[in-house]
Amino acid sequence: MRAVASKKPPQRHARQELEGFDRLYRDHVDLIYRYAHRLCGETEAAKDLVQETFLNAYQGLKDFRGESKISTWLYTIASRACIRMRRKRKGEPEHELSLEEFVPTSEGEFRLQIPMDGLSPEEALQNKELREALDQAINKLPKKYRMALALHDMEGLSAKEVGTIMGVNERAIKSRLHRARLFVRRELSARGITQHDNQKSGGSRS
Amino acid sequence: MTKKKTAARKKRPGLSSHHHTHSEGQCVDLLRQLSAYIDDELPSDICREIRRHLGACPNCEVFIASLQQTVTLCRHRPAPELTSVERTNMRRMILDAVGAR
Repeated sequence: MRAVASKKPPQRHARQELEGFDRLYRDHVDLIYRYAHRLCGETEAAKDLVQETFLNAYQGLKDFRGESKISTWLYTIASRACIRMRRKRKGEPEHELSLEEFVPTSEGEFRLQIPMDGLSPEEALQNKELREALDQAINKLPKKYRMALALHDMEGLSAKEVGTIMGVNERAIKSRLHRARLFVRRELSARGITQHDNQKSGGSRS
Repeated sequence: MTKKKTAARKKRPGLSSHHHTHSEGQCVDLLRQLSAYIDDELPSDICREIRRHLGACPNCEVFIASLQQTVTLCRHRPAPELTSVERTNMRRMILDAVGAR
C-alpha cells in the first residue's frame, strides 16, 4: 500500500512556502542587511551574510513556532551564520578582552577625549576621520563583543534579547557590552582627532 | 562581636569616598560600573555615590563623558541601505540556492 501522507498537493504547498518566504524577506531584508553590515563592516560580506541568513530561514520557516519575535529569530540565524562564515574564512581564535586592559595607567589616558564638543552626534559623524575611526574601532573588536555592541547599542535591543540571540545570559552580555564600549572609546580617543579636522572634512566633502 | 565588617567592601559595587581624598582604586571600581551607570541600571544610592565621586574627580568625569559619547556615536552610526535592484537580485540568488540544495 502506498503512503497516505500527502494532505496538500505539492505544488500548492510549494507556492505557500514561497509566499511565506517572500513576506519574510520583504519585511526583514533591510533590517538584516543593516545588522549584517554592522557585523561585517563591508558590503559584499554583508550581502553574503544576508543570503546565508535567508537561505537558512527559508529552510527553517516551517518549523518556526513563534516562540520569539520573528526579528529575534532572524538575528539569531544571522549571528550564527556570521560566526560560521568567519571561522571558515580565517580560523582566527577568539580574542578575549579583559577589563584590566582598559584601566588607565596615566592621567593622560583618563583624559583622552572624543572631539564632539557642542555637536550633535549626526554633526560629529560628518567628520570623515571620526566616522572612519569609529568603523575601524568596531571592526577591530572580536566578534562576540562586536555582536553585543551592534545588537544592543546600534539595533537597540535589550540585554535580555541580545542574550537570547547569542545564547548566553544577560550578565555575560552586559560584561561584553561594557568591554566593547571601553575598547571603542580607547580607539577613538587614541586617534587624536581634533575639532579642527571636523570643520575641515565637514565642510568639503571629498 | 567586633564590628569588623570592613570585608563587606570587598565586592560591594559602590564607591566609598566622602571627600576628595579618594584612592585610585575607587576610580577603577567606577570604571567597572560605568556602562551600568550610563544605562541607568544601578540602584539610586550607588548612583549618588558615583555622582559624588565624579564631582571630586575630574579624570573620571572626563572618562565617563567620553564613554557616553562613544555610546551615542554607536547609536547614530549610519548604515548603508540596499537598492531595490540589490534586493531583487539577492532574493533570486537565495531562491536559486534553495532549489540547488
